Amino acid sequence: MHVHELNPKKTLITVIIFVLLIIIGFLTLRTPRFHYQLSLKETTQMLQNNDNAFYPYQLTDVIDNINHKVVLIDIRNKFAFSRGHIPGAENISAYDLTKEKNIKHLEALADKGITVVLYGKDLLQANGPWMWFRQVGFRNVKYLLGGYDYYQKHKKNLAQTENDKSYLPGLPRYNYAKLASRKTQSTVTTTKTKKPVIIRRKKKATVASGGC
Amino acid sequence: MNRNYIFLTLLMLALALGTLFIKKKPTKPETPPETLLWEIIQPTRYVSTDQVARMIIQKDPSLEIIDVRSPKEFSQFTLPGAINVPPDSLITETGSEYFGIPGIKVVFISNDGILADRVWVLAKRLGYNDLYVMKGGLNRWMETIIQPKEPGEGEPYTAFEEYEFRQGARLYFTGAKVKTTKATKAKVIVRRKKKATVASGGC
Repeated sequence: MHVHELNPKKTLITVIIFVLLIIIGFLTLRTPRFHYQLSLKETTQMLQNNDNAFYPYQLTDVIDNINHKVVLIDIRNKFAFSRGHIPGAENISAYDLTKEKNIKHLEALADKGITVVLYGKDLLQANGPWMWFRQVGFRNVKYLLGGYDYYQKHKKNLAQTENDKSYLPGLPRYNYAKLASRKTQSTVTTTKTKKPVIIRRKKKATVASGGC
Repeated sequence: MNRNYIFLTLLMLALALGTLFIKKKPTKPETPPETLLWEIIQPTRYVSTDQVARMIIQKDPSLEIIDVRSPKEFSQFTLPGAINVPPDSLITETGSEYFGIPGIKVVFISNDGILADRVWVLAKRLGYNDLYVMKGGLNRWMETIIQPKEPGEGEPYTAFEEYEFRQGARLYFTGAKVKTTKATKAKVIVRRKKKATVASGGC
């Protein structure tokens, strides 16, 4: 006969401790701050279109304070931001994006129905963070086509860039097959002409010449 | 039987039944979102067209080029040895068998590198490692390897070395014939000073 069978209370104590342990385990289970809200399939669809693009010509309304439904976020570092940025943009460096304060700020903007437009130096810089925000459930995040570089080049004529296609992503700029074919590239000329060397001798001032 | 034993058995059974309701997790765990963002911010995933060209020429067995453009674009032109995996097929069984092979470096290419970068994020979320993106995509490939620009005067020596490499790479990838015009011997022009005659000069 076991010892605990003599004392029925012992079983009860064991059970209570057991249950307590499980409860403590659940309470201290750290829930991750972010979850993927978009499935892989939805993400794949999202990355193939430009539905979340913000066009440079749309910036004019934001800069002129006509469109209050858009907030620009500059994800470059503080230094680059201080050197120049789109008027009215906020600076949250890419490294600080997940800080509690910034996430709360972005959530507050989402609740108000305000679109957040991320931009970096170029489209590529904002591309990853944009995808990340979308995947963790921010439906109001977009990216600026062309990035800051394009804006800086065209800041005087932003309204006219509507028909410019150079900032659109994913387009081939050349006819690859034609350009890389043997025919087009039939000859590669490598001329190595050396520049003539000119030696100028210093003019000697003769003793006899000149002088008054 | 002891009443306590029955009670304990029932408790254990209840807990065991509870595990049935735990969500089934995918076999390969996804990268946690916070780790993913950290990886996204790092620029280490970008490789240049020169690096890719060098690896192709050296026939590096660890290189695997994944072309993420449409099959139509893929059939028209791609890099030697590239495999076509459009984003749709990435998450299917057939697409994923190209990733996660130990010792293989996967380089994504697209027209301008944007789509490749997006597919990189997706593949990274799936938990694969050793993934890279060719920065600038095929557009930059054309500008640097197929039609390299000669560096101007005043550019550093490395720019000329790079140009030399690109010229060679261009031959390799296009199969163009070389026509080297022989270097003409540099003429040395010596300007002799005009002799000032003794008589000349003076007031």
